[in-house]
Parts: sequence; C-alpha cells; structure tokens
Amino acid sequence: MKSYLSLIPISARVRRRQNRMTLLCIIFAVFLVTAVFSMADMGMRMEMARLTQKHAQEFNFQAIMDTAMGQNLFLLAGGLFILILLAGVLMISGSINSTVAQRTKFFGMMRCIGMSRQQLKRFVRLEALNWCKTAIPIGLVLGTVITWALCAVLRFVVGEEFAMIPLFGISPIGMISGIVMGLVTVLLAARAPARQAAKVSPMAAVSGNTENKSRTRHAVRTGKFPIEISLGAHHAKSARKNLFLMTGSFALSIILFLTFSVLLDFVGYLLPQSAADADITITDEAGVTGINCISPETVETIRGMDGVKNIFGRRSLFEVPAELGKEGLPQTVDLFSFDDFDLDALKKDGRLRKGSDLSEVYGNTDSVLVICDPDAPIRKRDTIRVEGEDLSVAGMLKADLFSEDGLSHGKVSVIASSETFVRLTGITDYSIVMVQTTGDVTDGDVAAISGVLDEGTALRDEREMRTSGTYTAFVLCVYGFLGIIAMVTLLNIMNSISMSVSARSRQYGIMRAVGMDGRQVTGMIAAEAVTYALSGCVIGCIVGLAASRMLYNLLIDGRFPYAVWALPVSRLLIVLAFVAAATLAAIYAPAKRIRNMAITATINEL
Amino acid sequence: MDLLEVSNVSKTYGRGEAAVKALKNVSFSVPKGEYVAIVGESGSGKSTLLNMIGGLDTPTSGKVVISGKEIFSMNDRKLTIFRRRNIGFIFQAFNLIPELTVEQNMVFPVLLDYQKPDRTYLEELLSVLNLKERRRHLPSQLSGGQQQRVAIGRALITRPSLILADEPTGNLDTANSSEVIALLKEASRKYEQTIVMITHNRSTSQTADRILNVSDGVLTDLGRCSE
Repeated sequence: MKSYLSLIPISARVRRRQNRMTLLCIIFAVFLVTAVFSMADMGMRMEMARLTQKHAQEFNFQAIMDTAMGQNLFLLAGGLFILILLAGVLMISGSINSTVAQRTKFFGMMRCIGMSRQQLKRFVRLEALNWCKTAIPIGLVLGTVITWALCAVLRFVVGEEFAMIPLFGISPIGMISGIVMGLVTVLLAARAPARQAAKVSPMAAVSGNTENKSRTRHAVRTGKFPIEISLGAHHAKSARKNLFLMTGSFALSIILFLTFSVLLDFVGYLLPQSAADADITITDEAGVTGINCISPETVETIRGMDGVKNIFGRRSLFEVPAELGKEGLPQTVDLFSFDDFDLDALKKDGRLRKGSDLSEVYGNTDSVLVICDPDAPIRKRDTIRVEGEDLSVAGMLKADLFSEDGLSHGKVSVIASSETFVRLTGITDYSIVMVQTTGDVTDGDVAAISGVLDEGTALRDEREMRTSGTYTAFVLCVYGFLGIIAMVTLLNIMNSISMSVSARSRQYGIMRAVGMDGRQVTGMIAAEAVTYALSGCVIGCIVGLAASRMLYNLLIDGRFPYAVWALPVSRLLIVLAFVAAATLAAIYAPAKRIRNMAITATINEL
Repeated sequence: MDLLEVSNVSKTYGRGEAAVKALKNVSFSVPKGEYVAIVGESGSGKSTLLNMIGGLDTPTSGKVVISGKEIFSMNDRKLTIFRRRNIGFIFQAFNLIPELTVEQNMVFPVLLDYQKPDRTYLEELLSVLNLKERRRHLPSQLSGGQQQRVAIGRALITRPSLILADEPTGNLDTANSSEVIALLKEASRKYEQTIVMITHNRSTSQTADRILNVSDGVLTDLGRCSE
C-alpha cells in the first residue's frame, strides 16, 4: 500500500455486491447521455450530407448549428442532459448515502486510527470516482452501440429523409458528454455522503453503537393490520426525508409520463397522419377541388395501373338547399361523397365522434355523416332534408376536414356514401381523386397515370410532401423519452427500496431470529414499497394531470381550436400498471435477499 | 426425557486449507427445567453452538433435537415457526425493534403467529420485569438494563420450553447483571423453562445448575456447580 487511498480498490472489491446498483446507475446515466448526444451528432451529419448534396457545396458544422434544426437538436440534447443529470445525481447519491450509512463503524475506526475529516471526505469522493473507471467505458460502449442500432432503424425502417443518416458513426461529442456526465454526477452525488462520513465520531468505532437512535420518534400502530404490514408501512412513513424522496420518484415518473405523452397528441395535430393520405391527387386543371370533372371510368383505368395501391375519390356539391329543422342552422349544406376506402379511413383515424355508427352510411342508404361546429344543435338520429329526401344523421366528425383550423364556422357539411350521393344528385364524376402508390412506384408510373387523365384535369405529385417519416421519427423520439423515464423510474425505485432494506438488514435479521418467516418478510417489504407507491401515485396523478392539461392548453388548444382535452384514462392506466410492475420488481430482489440471509452473520454485523 | 439433545454436531467454515473447524463433534443433552451455562474463551465456538441449537445456523454434520423434534429436518418455514413458538432468544446487544414500544416488542413473537397476546400473562411479565411504568416507551428511551429486561420479556412471552441467552449481561453493569440473571432464574423455575446461557462472567456461570466448557470447538461438561 502506497497511501491510505490504496484502500479504495481493496474496499471496492470486498463490497462489490453492495456497489452493483451504484455502478448500474452510473452506467445508465453515461449510456443515456452518450446515446442522446451521439444521435444529435448523427442528425447533424445527416443534415450536412443532405445540404451538401442539395446545394452541391460543403457545409460545415457551424453552418448547421446556425440552422433551426441544428439549434433545436442540441437544445433538446442539452435539456435531456440536465434531466439525466438530475435523475443520475438523485439515484447515485441515494446509493452512496446508503453505503456510507452502512459503514459508520468503519469510518469511525478510520477516524480512531488517525484519518482526518478532510481525508475521509477525499476517501468517499475518490471511492465514488473509482466506480467511474468501470462504469464510464461500459456506458460509452453501450451508448455507441445503441446509437448504431437507432441509426439503422431510422435509415432502414423509417427511411425517407433519414436515408442519409450515417450507420457506424463514432461521435466524439457523444463520448465527451458521456464522460463529463459520469464524472459530474458522481462528484455531485458524493458531496453530501462525503460530508456525512466526515461527521462520524471516532466513538462510533469504540462503542459499536452505530444505530441512530434519534431516528425513531413514534411507535408503530399495531392491531389494525398484521404486524409485518404495520411495520412495513411504518418503515416507509417514519423516515420523512426518505418518504419524500421515494414519493417524489414515483410521482415524478408519473408526472413526466403524463406530460410527455401530450407531445404525442401534439404531433398528431401538427402532422396529422391519415389512412387516406394521398401520394397523388387528381383535380381539375386549375387545382380547384370543387369541380366534378373526373370520370369514374378514368378512376377504374388508373386502379389497374402499375404503382397504384389504392385509389378513391370524392364528389362535392356546395350550398345545396336543405332543411335542418332547428333554429340557428343554415339553410344550405355542402354535400360530399366518400368512397368506402375514405369512409373506412375516418374510423381508422379516429375522426368520428363517440356514438357514431359508420356502418349505416355504406351503400345506398338514407344515413349520412355530418360535420358541424361542436355547439351546433345537431345530434345523432336527427333528420335533415336534402334534395327532397329525408336523411338520418348516423354520426358526426370531431373536426372539420375541409377547413384549416378544424372548425366549421357555422357551416354544415354532409358526407354521404358514393352510392347515396349519386342517387341524391345524379352526379357521377369526381371532383378530387386520390391515389396511394406502392413502395416501388417509379416516376414513369406517375407519368403513365398522368397520360390517361381526362381532358381539363391534372395530377399533383405529393410523394415528397408526405410527413410520415418525420411523424414516425418524432413519435419514436417521444416513445424514447417515455422509455428513458420508465427505465430511470424502474432503476430508481428498485435501487431505493433495495437500499432502504439494506439499511435495515440487521433489524430484519433480529425479526427473522425471533420468528418472522419468509412470507412475513416479503409482506413487510411489500407494505413499505406499496406505501411509497400509493403516495407517489396520488401526488403523481394529481400533479401529472394538471401539468398535462396545462401543456395541452399551451401546445394544442391555442393552435387547434377544435381540440378538446380529455382525461387520458388509458395513459393513466398504463402508467399505474407500470408503477405496480416496478413496485413488484423492486420488492422481489430485496425480499429474496432477506429471506435467504444468514441470520447470525447479520445480527452480529455491527 | 431430555428437552435438548445435541448429537455429534460439527461446523466447519471455509474449504480446503482455509477450512476452520468451529465445532468438533459436540454432544450433550439438557433435561427440562435445567439452567446450563456455557463458558469458554472468545472464538472458542460458544456462540456458534448456541446458534446451531436455535436453528439460526446449520451444522456441517450432526443433529439437534428439541422436545423430540429434529430441527434441521424441517424446512425453513417450519423451522421459523418452531423457533417462534418453542425457543426464546436473548442477545447481548438486546436486539429490540427500535420502532416498537416495550409492550409491542414483548408481544412481537405472538403477533408474528397471528395470535392475540394473553393479557394476564403479559401484565404478569411486565410486573415481574418491573416494566409496567415503561410499557409505552420506545427502546431508545430505556437504559441498557431495562432494554435487556424487555428482551427477556420477549423471550418468555410465548412460554417457550427453551431459552437461549448469548451473553445477556455482556452490555450491563454489575447491578443490572445480577438483576437480569435473577429474573432469568426466577422465570425458569416459575415457568419450568430450560435455559442455555453463554457467559464470560465467572460469577454468572456459578449461578447455573451445570457448566459446559467449549475450547477450540470441543465441549467438556464441567458438571454441577455444587460438585
């Protein structure tokens, strides 16, 4: 031994099992940051390659950083860095704190044999840094491999604008960020425990009295529940700071999940994806969509051509006199025909209001769908008179498909099936025809379609304008976030419960000695974990729903007036199920450890 | 019939060259109601032996039979329940549950058995142990002697046939030590309980009916104190 600090690697080897969780936390933080920054770097490289190809000149990193995309990417990565840093410090400081608390006697002994407070602080800090030696390289490798995998998914699965993303790129920015994250989290996390260790009195070693007696102030309330359940709940409630931290970690995960998932709604409104999105649209030559000028025969011809996956059309007739039978409603309606494929898409896209029955609308019927403002006095089963026929309202749409802001502004539109529309109006020609192409469609195929069009009509090639790639990437990104939140939560909850149990293992040993059986031990640990989970769920749901509503109003309500916030029941159920699963997972390992503990060794360990 | 029979119990820690024989073929028996003291140097194997008898640790070989039941033939759950109902433990460090009051600590083994504590017996114990005034106190509010009296109460509450005490006076001053030993003896007479106690203290061992000595893992019966 060259110096007293040589004790650090020896102590780390001895306490390998206790340190496993801390190592995992550091690996996780380094891995996440490496992956996030590497992905941002790969995004920048992709953008550079795309711009270079497009403008036939070299673009450097600075030029990309000046673009909105570059700034957004790194802003996002920076925000994530802080989030991960916070979570990392919270998790790692929890575990270092616990390992310090378990070694009060050791630190007392060190003070006894002459270690100064300053040396003890340095010892704890360096001990924490010692873990980085293993954890940082593992985190860096994992982060890089995951980046490669994500790039491959974006390049080959999402494709489109991500076709140029590099596959096996090594990102120095990602690596450096990962290393910085590892070192900073550990140093920040070790501060409080180091101070704690330095406070240990040399008497702790001499007297062997290391238990903090002042911690217990209130006795357990027994009688209502079995003793092990009362004890477990008391363990959770008695340590206020721990209860606050644990409730906080459960609540934080629920809040983050509920808040982040609003982004899924946001992207849904921002880049609406429809099962009826077209790659090619055919209208009259001037691009006016209200003129019925495309013959059904042309549609049938195109249907059989190469590169065509689906083809469907709409007919329209504006300001048709109508009797809506209620005051405050207009005297005319706009009448549209939707082919079956288009009607199916309404259901798939979730555009129908609750209670609507689409099945009544298909074929030659008297049932139609209605689009009107949410406050218009039209209900399902109302009868409206159009073109001399009584039509029954089978359902309504949530938003106006034909207006920019999704509102009808007092107008009423009626959607009928193709057959019903033809019967009502006698018009067979379409005003707009939409084509969905196959994946291998060529420009030649599109030119061939253009060649068979009726006179006075033209097609618009919109294949490049589809936003499904961006949408998928954004959704993947949000799910990635949610995944990270889930992982952090799981690790944190498992870690904290494991630490809490470790800190009481001697007490559990005594209980085992005086007759507590394995099931009772599990029950006691479960009661403690469930107490944390329940209080976390209550606070998490209240704050999370409020935050989700606020974000919804901020992001969506102002921009999309037809959007209405609804209680996210399914998301609540998902997050509560996840919390329940995380709690069960967190109970399993510590309960097993205590069930299998060597009772005598644990009792005698001071 | 003997209440406790220990036959050829050996315990080896480690393997190969690092193997340490903590107990070597220990055999002895204790009849019902007898008060036995085990003495020996530190590290001689006394505590290991006591832990084997209590089923807290398993021997490498040999048998321990309590009230006609071989304890190591039971699975963990059965052994735990057997221990809860038939053996009372008293430790040197008291080992009370810090968040339970005096009364709760005493009835803890009964509660673990999902039974209602016998209030009359509890009152009697609190009175014998002189803890009536302290029944609502937490262990941290008690002196060492009082804590050990609570531990004795916890060991007696299930009316176990066997009480195992590992240096019960090790953390107490002379006055408290004598009081604790007197209480243990009184209980053993009153409730016909068998006591096996480890002690370093010569005068404490002299209060026992019989003394066993453990040295280097080998047990020798030193016979009755009066002999």
